[in-house]
Amino acid sequence: MTESPFSEELAPSRSRPPWQYALVAVPLLVAGLVFWWGYNRAQPHQFSGAVIQGLTAAPDFSLSSDSGPVSLSDHRGKLVVLYFGYTFCPDVCPTTLQDVADAIEILDDDDAKDVQLIFVTVDPVRDTAERLGEYVRHFDESFLGVTGTEEEIGSVATLYGIYYRAGEGSEATGYLMEHTATLLVIDREGNLKEVIPFGVDSEGIAADFEYMLR
Amino acid sequence: MAISVDSPETTEEPRLSRRGRRWLIAVAVVAALVVASVFAFVTFQPIQVLPRVRLAPGFSLIDSESRTLTSEDLRGRFVLYTFSYSSCENCGSIDETMLEIQEGLATADLRGLPVRLVTISIDPDDTPETLAAYADSTGADSSVWTFAAVEDDRFLADVVAGGFNTYYAAEDDGSISLDRSFVLVDNAGIIRNEYKYQTQTSDAERILRHLGVLAEEVENSKGAASLAYEAAHLFLCYAP
Repeated sequence: MTESPFSEELAPSRSRPPWQYALVAVPLLVAGLVFWWGYNRAQPHQFSGAVIQGLTAAPDFSLSSDSGPVSLSDHRGKLVVLYFGYTFCPDVCPTTLQDVADAIEILDDDDAKDVQLIFVTVDPVRDTAERLGEYVRHFDESFLGVTGTEEEIGSVATLYGIYYRAGEGSEATGYLMEHTATLLVIDREGNLKEVIPFGVDSEGIAADFEYMLR
Repeated sequence: MAISVDSPETTEEPRLSRRGRRWLIAVAVVAALVVASVFAFVTFQPIQVLPRVRLAPGFSLIDSESRTLTSEDLRGRFVLYTFSYSSCENCGSIDETMLEIQEGLATADLRGLPVRLVTISIDPDDTPETLAAYADSTGADSSVWTFAAVEDDRFLADVVAGGFNTYYAAEDDGSISLDRSFVLVDNAGIIRNEYKYQTQTSDAERILRHLGVLAEEVENSKGAASLAYEAAHLFLCYAP
């Protein structure tokens, strides 16, 4: 009779006060949380773009904005997002800038402060520093727009894998620029970490920023 | 009486701890299995990959048929770049390696991987005509192997030295000294390997093998398997 399952279950409840169960339950709960945390950490983050593993410092540059010279190295410690475009750009550039602005909105305030977008013009003939500043701040107050001589822009673009060229246009738009439309993300240590292709939505961009800001 | 009251207590204790011990053993076994499988993955490397080294430069070239070829045109393809010039007297071995790869591509099983070979001239005096004659002399098949020069000379150094990390310099006697260098770039414009130093295995053999590794990654890293490929990148399971 003493082998009955009921007597087995009842026996401890009679002899053990409930706090003793807490002794078992609490460590189990903690172990569960640690496992859950570890599992989430161990899950490789699925990036929206191509991740670069080599630790090559992103080439530094010094270009001009309407608030003075801007160097990549000024922003060490932040996640720097480089985008090459031009203010007369009809579709790809405004869409991308809006996506980055929306991604920053998604981040919490501390993370948002640590993201710096730098918009480098590929059309230095028409884009003055003032025009660029006004244009990028339309998307987010923190954005910087920079320009330089044709040689300076050409060098920086080449090193960042950006191709561009003046193309056809119309009376209304003026000439259009063909250009590589990737977002380049440089981590806090100044290494180029990710190349995000055009078309990734703001949630995808925000998730990658968040992961790289951990 | 005292014995009968104590006895459930004393039998309860070992039973609980026995259960606890079983749990502990189960957890230890699972943990050991996880550690062992990670160790096996890293040691035996069932999946090998090539690292994503850094970004390849952006450029616009003019080829031997006077056509424009930009880094954007080549996006989506796997491209092997090398550097040379039409009047180079010591570039024979570079061209031979490229030819060997061109021939290897015809027979290698690369599962339809789109591959291009591009020789970029580092001589600003090269023209489409001199490059066409140079291409003819090497036996290049123009559908696979392109000879081209950087369109705007101002950016030649940025492309070759800055972007592709290949040393070249004009000498006083008018010749150009140049390092032997092959650079393998993937479909996203990212450098996957550089071949600058001769190893036991010939460059052509290594490059063809590495193209095979890339072909496998492209074909297999879909869905859940992509996690295994990310793990291979994470654990540095790099193909030799």
